[in-house]
Amino acid sequence: MTDTAIADPHTSADGASVGAARSRTFARRARNGGISLLWALAGVGLVIVMWELVKALGNVIPLPLNTSDMTMPHVWTMFAAMGEPEVRGSENTVLDAVIAATFRSLLLAFGGFLIGVAVGLLLAVIMQRFLFAERGLLPFVIASQTVPLIALAPLIVGIGNQIEIGPIKWTTTYSVMFIAAYLAFFPLSVGALRGLQAPTPTSLELMRSYAATPNQTVRKLRFPSSIPYIVPALKVSAAASVVGTVVAEISTGVRGGIGRLLIEYARQITSQPAKVYVAVFGAIALGLVVAALVTALDVYLTRNLPKEKSA
Amino acid sequence: MSTATTEHAVHADGIWKIFNEGQSNEVTALQDVHLTVESGEFISLIGPSGCGKSTLLRVIADLTDATRGDMRVAGHTPHEAREQQLYGMAFQQAALFDWRTVRRNVELPLELQGWDKAKRKARALELLDMVQLADFAEHRPWELSGGMQQRVAIARSLAVDPTILLMDEPFGALDEMTRERMQNELLRIRKETGKSIVFVTHSIPEAVYLSDRVVVMSPRPGRITDIVDVPLGDDRDEDTREADAFFDAVTAVREALRGRVGGSDARAKVGEV
Repeated sequence: MTDTAIADPHTSADGASVGAARSRTFARRARNGGISLLWALAGVGLVIVMWELVKALGNVIPLPLNTSDMTMPHVWTMFAAMGEPEVRGSENTVLDAVIAATFRSLLLAFGGFLIGVAVGLLLAVIMQRFLFAERGLLPFVIASQTVPLIALAPLIVGIGNQIEIGPIKWTTTYSVMFIAAYLAFFPLSVGALRGLQAPTPTSLELMRSYAATPNQTVRKLRFPSSIPYIVPALKVSAAASVVGTVVAEISTGVRGGIGRLLIEYARQITSQPAKVYVAVFGAIALGLVVAALVTALDVYLTRNLPKEKSA
Repeated sequence: MSTATTEHAVHADGIWKIFNEGQSNEVTALQDVHLTVESGEFISLIGPSGCGKSTLLRVIADLTDATRGDMRVAGHTPHEAREQQLYGMAFQQAALFDWRTVRRNVELPLELQGWDKAKRKARALELLDMVQLADFAEHRPWELSGGMQQRVAIARSLAVDPTILLMDEPFGALDEMTRERMQNELLRIRKETGKSIVFVTHSIPEAVYLSDRVVVMSPRPGRITDIVDVPLGDDRDEDTREADAFFDAVTAVREALRGRVGGSDARAKVGEV
């Protein structure tokens, strides 16, 4: 921004045109959004075309992968499989089952995400506030992510099942949520810590000159400054909570979620190869829904910040 | 508390600031600094990098402690002065918060003091009016030019109505034209509010144009080498910048910075430089 160009404050026309500029921005965003959607749909179409092309090619020349209908069913077979009854004679279609399972996993992932975010933020605030906490906690935070989830899952289920506080009985569902949270808290705590440490020395001295308390400094300066760091961390955390949920469902064997459904349908691959793909679509949908939610959160959190990047 | 000390905006008595004292990398940032800023006075601190001018300002502001010596700010210790918000501060970076509107940036110090919403809004608008940015109250800081941002920062530093303004090269990042306009603004604000101002700068003409007295400092060790009176009166405007008395004072400060105390034969030397 050049200084001399708009240094004169008496251009009230500038102030009046702000509203118009904002609605223009909105229109531009809506148009960009529409274009993005078209591109996304084109991408999906391209994948379908490629899939069928590879299959067709496989019938003509030998390819290094099995393109038979057993492993690569036609796209239309997959769509047809959605409408088939889930088990013989059942009222429920495969699609119904996948949607129900996806929704259940979504709830678990969301719960895990929320817990992870809360814990991650809390840890970040503590680590920022107390240097000894950062020194003491950060290695554990990092080490926590090096433990393989597969090893951890039975452990959490085993310990969790012994927990019983009054009327609240730990179930395997909680274990799934715990595992999702376990994966989700890490990116957030590390990102938020960096963000909380991001304010410039001048901003911090400014707060000191106002005799601001440490709490005020966190609320009015450090936390708002950390938003640009927290938003990308939220995206990673959300993805981690989805992966954590699906993997935890599989490794703990909890029923009802998309992870378990994937395993069940994979076992039926010889009889109904298209079915497992429907479950895969469910898992993809799960990821997309979570990504959309986080993007909406991103737009909300950064609404007052300069738009430097077109994310 | 005696009235003798309260009428001084700042009173520094033998201030020393030594970094890493007793270690091999010991640095004397301030050596035995004595300085009194009268109430309502405009003082500039000038000198090359490392002369301790910013350090002195930071000691006054209680952003760092003096190693030795006694500092009084409006009759109080710097810590008390800071706690009671007796000074307002402006830095080279405007340090406005992007996520707040211009008005809410000015409200920040009031918010921290627990002012209620309506009162702090009224106060912020009053101050934005003073720095002629009332039309931009609901803009975001990043929509403003550097000069405008700095004006917001000045409005913010005045929010709690402190008796003293401490300014650390506030116009250092601005272009020359904006800078001169800002200097006029500051003189006008000073006249309207009667604040005592301690102003750190690298610019000799800026120091002379603004100040009643220019404190000349020298590095290694950081110390006051001279204090130059600027007899330009209270009514200064663009013409002042071209007056003989202005050039005389500029020359006197320049001489003092070179270590030639006095500068009485300043006029004769202008032609040679």
